[in-house]
Amino acid sequence: MTIIDRPSTDVAVVGGAPTGVKPSEALGVFKRPTASTSWRDWVVTVDHKKLGIMYGVTAFFFFIVGGVEALLIRLQLIAPDGTVLNADQYNQMFTMHATTMVFLFVMPMAAAFANYFVPLQIGARDVAFPRLNAFGFWCFLFGGLFLNSSWFLGGGADGGWFMYAPNSSTLFSPSHGIDFWTLGLQITGIASLTGAINLIVTILNMRAPGMKMMRMPIFTWMILVTQFLLLFAIPVITVALFLLSFQRSFDATFFDVASGADPLLWQHLFWIFGHPEVYIMILPSFGIISEVLPVFSKKPLFGYPIVAMSGAAIGFVGWGVWAHHMFASGLGPVSVTVFSMATMAIAVPTGVKIVNWVMTMWGGKLTFTVPMLFAIALVVQFTIGGLSGVTHAVAPSDTQQTDTYYIVAHFHYVLFGGAVFGLFSGFYYWWPKMFRRQLSEGLGKWNFWLMVIGMNLTFGPMHILGLQGQPRRMGVWTEARAGEGFFNLGFWNQVASIGSFVLGIGVLMFLVNIVYTHKSKKIAIAPLDPWDGRTLEWMTHNPPQEHNFDTIPTVSHLDEFFHRKYETDATTHAVTQVHSAEEVMAELNAHPDEHIHMPSRSYWPILLALSLPVITYGLIYNRMLMAVGAAMTMLTMFGWSMEPSTSPDEDFDPPAPGEGGGHTKELSPLG
Amino acid sequence: MKKMFNQVGESMKSARRWHGAAKAAIAVSALSFLASCAKDAPQDTWQPAGPNAEKIDNLQRPVFYVAGIVGVIVFAAVAWTMYRYRDRGQAIPEQTHGKPALEIVLTVIPVLILLGVAVPTAGTIFELAKTSDTEMTINVTGQQWWWEYDYPASGSNIEEFGITAPIVTSGQLVIPENTKVLLRVTSRDVIHSYWIPKLNGKKDSVPGRVHLLRMEGSQPGIYAGQCTEFCGLSHSYMRMEAVVLSRADYDKWVANELEEYTAPAAGTEAAVGESLFIQQCSRCHQVNGLANSDGSLIISAPDQYLVSGAAPNLTNLMTRNTFAGASWDLLTPECRNNVWNADSADFGERYLAGVSSDCLNQKDLREWLRNSPAKKPMYADPTKLEASDGKYRGMPALGLTEDQINSIIAYLLERK
Repeated sequence: MTIIDRPSTDVAVVGGAPTGVKPSEALGVFKRPTASTSWRDWVVTVDHKKLGIMYGVTAFFFFIVGGVEALLIRLQLIAPDGTVLNADQYNQMFTMHATTMVFLFVMPMAAAFANYFVPLQIGARDVAFPRLNAFGFWCFLFGGLFLNSSWFLGGGADGGWFMYAPNSSTLFSPSHGIDFWTLGLQITGIASLTGAINLIVTILNMRAPGMKMMRMPIFTWMILVTQFLLLFAIPVITVALFLLSFQRSFDATFFDVASGADPLLWQHLFWIFGHPEVYIMILPSFGIISEVLPVFSKKPLFGYPIVAMSGAAIGFVGWGVWAHHMFASGLGPVSVTVFSMATMAIAVPTGVKIVNWVMTMWGGKLTFTVPMLFAIALVVQFTIGGLSGVTHAVAPSDTQQTDTYYIVAHFHYVLFGGAVFGLFSGFYYWWPKMFRRQLSEGLGKWNFWLMVIGMNLTFGPMHILGLQGQPRRMGVWTEARAGEGFFNLGFWNQVASIGSFVLGIGVLMFLVNIVYTHKSKKIAIAPLDPWDGRTLEWMTHNPPQEHNFDTIPTVSHLDEFFHRKYETDATTHAVTQVHSAEEVMAELNAHPDEHIHMPSRSYWPILLALSLPVITYGLIYNRMLMAVGAAMTMLTMFGWSMEPSTSPDEDFDPPAPGEGGGHTKELSPLG
Repeated sequence: MKKMFNQVGESMKSARRWHGAAKAAIAVSALSFLASCAKDAPQDTWQPAGPNAEKIDNLQRPVFYVAGIVGVIVFAAVAWTMYRYRDRGQAIPEQTHGKPALEIVLTVIPVLILLGVAVPTAGTIFELAKTSDTEMTINVTGQQWWWEYDYPASGSNIEEFGITAPIVTSGQLVIPENTKVLLRVTSRDVIHSYWIPKLNGKKDSVPGRVHLLRMEGSQPGIYAGQCTEFCGLSHSYMRMEAVVLSRADYDKWVANELEEYTAPAAGTEAAVGESLFIQQCSRCHQVNGLANSDGSLIISAPDQYLVSGAAPNLTNLMTRNTFAGASWDLLTPECRNNVWNADSADFGERYLAGVSSDCLNQKDLREWLRNSPAKKPMYADPTKLEASDGKYRGMPALGLTEDQINSIIAYLLERK
């Protein structure tokens, strides 16, 4: 009999009667939270799947916020001398649009997928530090809300997401917008950093037996690379943000030219973080489509080790290219040449990935479901963005292109056409796993085509706008610089603006699809294995039980699940299905693990996270409040450290060596 | 509703076989897309008008072609794969994990292409960084939200071009044709970027640093540019032009710049304007040679009133044809066309004629003098200068009457 040892009133049990584990009390003021059904459970949960969903919902909310900001920008630029926004509002709008999309949408949405699927893909029952995981989510949520509260407290940050010194000092930006920006990103940075440590430890230590590194699903590989990038990039931006905070709040002079500072210091710090950040945003989507393309091609990923290693190579070389954001900033010709060459070098592993994706489809048996369509669109659109990237690796060429709309076109092809399309591919692919229902394919195709058309109408013309001389970050453009003829820059600005609304409707179709799928009675519950999946996450229920696997599978292949369903004839190489997904599951769960230890819920993560905005509001408005916040932080840290990761009365018995039966996977008790 | 979606799905299935044709059509339309660019966009990066920009152009054209070809190959491969290997009920394919030889070939090819790009790139970087062949030096200083040009009276500037006293102007950079000019670019406040696309790529102007930028025009004419580093509130209104003159015309321009100040004739409207200018404007705006009634020269002191410490020198305002960070024309649209679209033989004469009273764009200049912060976003509200110790960024509203504006315009019209 398998017992789920959790301090819960409704103990989940597999294959037996409840055994009535008593709710336990933590050391300290709070009773250990036990709710597992109401909203309270979402507040105290440490379940990686629930936290993944919370990351996803919150990130999507910020996606809509950032999207509305983008639409306002395009509305302002639809005609010359726009009057929708004034100069100040425009500067806030483009600063907050980029900040929201980068820090509050793409990064946490990737974290949502990583949280939900990495433990499932590696055959684990949760992440290594479940309470830290919850703490990370709450930091992201409160940091994002704090950052956006600036809209209601005197206006958002107005220095651009790159926040170049000295324009970011109080002399040039006297409102509190940049203070909110700096401190808000500091809080969300905690989420990224704790998440990175958590996932790295999880992936390195908690893989199912037999899952060597080179048998890991490629999505998990890309997440691992991403987390290492975060681990080293976030500290850099943290330092930069502290310097800026000290400059603005305590009159430090790190970027004050009159005191002998060099403003380029900020640019180097920002881009040493900022360039790896680009790969932090794109690699998870590369991982997603590297799962999706094989599934819908019925072939393994072509060149798996090369795709994995080229991801790692991008992770390394990505640290040596930051100054290509600074080709016009006055570096000497030697530095410019070095960074120009390094940037071209990074195109190679990126190109290798594209080749491998095409080769994955080559010779396959392709079905064009919505996740597949989004994945193919990523390959095509990312290729466009990658090729325009090569044109500005050519440094002299970049001195013409940088800070024009050509760059805006480039990175939107990479980030929207690439990263965001990958995330949408992931939504459609994993939706039945998370929510039991398969999103409507019909509505999904509307969603897809409107997004493809909208995205290309919006960002395609920006190539022309930029190459013909329209700089970015301008709240108004003038007809005097727009050129002659029907296809002048005014025309292309109009096309881009109209395209942005098509894109907006496309994104809206996704929300319509969610509502339709879950409200319509015609849409049935998805089958156990709706796409004929290849990886371990499909060897669980839809959605997975709280402990993910009754039995931790032993892995003997890359694409383990596929190999359990199909057999290859040794001579003819013909592939035949020998088991259904249900049979594989039944076989796996015939001998459930005897003891499954799950981490206990806790109040402390949300309380500790809640104390951080108190400090930051205090820093801006009242230093006494800051002291209150700091006291809250100390107390909650103390409370947390006194709380055992699992309840004290929990029956914890490590597996005896040599004991037969199922594999028992213990969670780290570090919590 | 659902039925409709299914129908769309069906029609998509039948459309699939046309994917190849569709992709070809996309390639054709992409080419026509490129052909459908704006004509004569003033800041077009594909129409070099000087050797520096030409070097960039020669480098980037082949790169764009190669990138385009690689793109078409990838799209064709994707389209072909989608068409050829769509699910037609074929058997589950062999579970191949890759072909190392093929992968190595497909890795080496991009490496070779990129090496082919890298070598000329490095060469061009060093050519564009060369400063030993300089024939003329001009200091270019950015501040919120306009450019100042200072032609130092030193070295070859004196010997070759007769610049015997420093010339300070703003907005329009005037250079002789086929002359290797070196700009020494810096800033007085935040980071800006100097960019005249038809003459060269951009270079940031960073406070505390001097960056060098080569500038050379092969044809007389006027070349538009724009500040391209985000520099705060009025970043969109920080424009500039480079004016290239034939050598003979350039000598005339220098001679005019070095002429002594001529005061307006007594009793004219311009004379009223001069005294108003002394009261209202000369604290920040320098007019060389302007004197008080007691004969003492007036030296403006913008550093007392402005964060950047500088305001445009207006000595020869009406020789330039734009104002307020080159954001508005001093010429009426008709007269502007006459200068901007002149062919290179006529350009110099028309430019040097400056702004006459018939050609003056009264509308924008009056609006500016009436209430400049309403026309261009600036930090010029006297009640909101706490963060900057009471110093303005930009020009405050002066509360002039219409009569006063008439007089000041009459005075300014003689500044050429």
